[in-house]
Amino acid sequence: MRHYPADYPIIQVRNLRKLFPVRGGRKLHAIDGVDFDLQPGKTLALVGESGSGKSTVARCITRLVEPTSGDIIVHGSSILELTALEMSRTYRLVQMVFQDPNASLNPRMTVRGILEEPLKLHLNLTRAERDERLRELIEIIGLTVAHLDRYPNELSGGQRQRIGIARAVAISPEVVLLDEPTASLDVSVRGQILELLKRLQQEFNLAYLFISHDLQVVKHMSDEVAVMYLGKIVERGPTEEVFSHPKHPYTRALMSAAPVARWGGRRERTKLAGEIGTPIDPRPACRLVGRCPIERPECGESPMPLRDIGGGHQVACPFHQSIQQ
Amino acid sequence: MSDVILEIEGYSGAFRGRESGEMEPVLFDVSYRLKPKAITAVVGETGSGKSLMALSVLGLQPPTFRRTAGSIRFKGEEILGLDDRALRRIRGRRISMVFQDARAALNPVFTVGDQLADTDRLHSGRSRHAAMAKAIEALRRVQIPEPERRARQYPHEYSGGMAQRAMIAMAALICEPELLIMDEPTTGLDVTTQAEIMELIVDLAKSRGLTVCLITHDLGVVAETCDEVIVMNKGRVVETGATEQIFTAPAHAYTRRLLAASQLGEEGA
Repeated sequence: MRHYPADYPIIQVRNLRKLFPVRGGRKLHAIDGVDFDLQPGKTLALVGESGSGKSTVARCITRLVEPTSGDIIVHGSSILELTALEMSRTYRLVQMVFQDPNASLNPRMTVRGILEEPLKLHLNLTRAERDERLRELIEIIGLTVAHLDRYPNELSGGQRQRIGIARAVAISPEVVLLDEPTASLDVSVRGQILELLKRLQQEFNLAYLFISHDLQVVKHMSDEVAVMYLGKIVERGPTEEVFSHPKHPYTRALMSAAPVARWGGRRERTKLAGEIGTPIDPRPACRLVGRCPIERPECGESPMPLRDIGGGHQVACPFHQSIQQ
Repeated sequence: MSDVILEIEGYSGAFRGRESGEMEPVLFDVSYRLKPKAITAVVGETGSGKSLMALSVLGLQPPTFRRTAGSIRFKGEEILGLDDRALRRIRGRRISMVFQDARAALNPVFTVGDQLADTDRLHSGRSRHAAMAKAIEALRRVQIPEPERRARQYPHEYSGGMAQRAMIAMAALICEPELLIMDEPTTGLDVTTQAEIMELIVDLAKSRGLTVCLITHDLGVVAETCDEVIVMNKGRVVETGATEQIFTAPAHAYTRRLLAASQLGEEGA
């Protein structure tokens, strides 16, 4: 296990922007100036609804999508200028788990083939060492050696996601990007996968970027949370703090809309007007304009930067105190 | 039969295996009742049979499914074994259904307004003009902004939440059924949209005295909106009861497991 100072960032994301060109020379602002750090052994959750840009962030870090501007710094050096060959050293450190294990596992490869691939690509192991590593891996994720010779379609959804996780941790990365890892699973399986992820994190001191729309899962899994809306982080801070004292009107609306599986768990809702705005050529203003319950004229005049409100809690709304607590 | 609108009794069935031709049982002696004017949840995980059972009510089960036993009574009248003509008189106008993917359920080559108006004409025999007026009114009622303009748009111009509102307008307001079956109507929608759709469903059910059967895997939605709960697991009904009872005093081990998994160990929070 590697040991780092507590505040050592493995990944620093700085002013990241990704604009996709759309018809008529216009630009879709998928990510619009996002900053964060990932620390060893810690989980940062990116939470938001569809169109918030949270998945695009992970795709930029792996350069499956090329950012438009900004920087992604891994271990102190920028990865955006690296060639494909040089990127493979980054992949040694940064791995990803995808939402849909049915789509992300090759149906024509056995589990052994799927898990062997990263070992062959990244580690110089003898055949015997590789077999030993495969045995280790399959047991770490709670399956047995017999599963190595199965095909993905012979596994349950939960087992497939375990394989997706094993593939990501096979080469002992430092960071795992988890893009909605439990969104396609039944609740009973969801809990098991989350426990597995927690165990792996402790055992290997992994940093997680946990991307999810499921607030309950985020609360359960993360140390810090960043709430995204239309390409921007609108609020972030320690998970406990953000969940117990959400400040931004969007965060409040999101949290009060998430149903709680408990009798009498219903809360007073903060409601937003209308539907999500367009990410195409948005005005330089707060993205919640037109939907916000505490909107003021100045909200439409300039972008709202994140501001510290103490205890590592940041909110991109100068008027948040005017919401009824 | 004033206290029961739909009664399923001892319903069992099986799928015919694709290669083997052997029958593989999937529903086992399923029995449940829906109380009129209540919102009843049928909850369960993948493979519980919750959707299959509901589809069978309208005769919409997949062709490889065979019923082996049981009966389904709607207001005391047996509806299994009805011929297509008789079924058509029930489908839509007395029992209607909303599916998970509303954009897939709407016809992509007709405007939303036309689809609602056509359905209305089929049921009411109203004039084209009057039917369109009713369609626009229905869209307005489900809080679609600018319903006159929206009625002229095609399904792909609707967001997922908007399309589900339109489906609810069709199933609940145009068809004016006595029983509305909803199969995972908010799965795949964002939580803020889900909350609004569920609010709309509760509002329609209460204001129109509609009976709703909500098929879902989401116990959060159940806790917040439903009156009665039926828990299914692996093709069987394992527990039924009032929502409060299911959540505060679950009797069956599976219900307790499902609750614990849904709460991620935070029941005291």
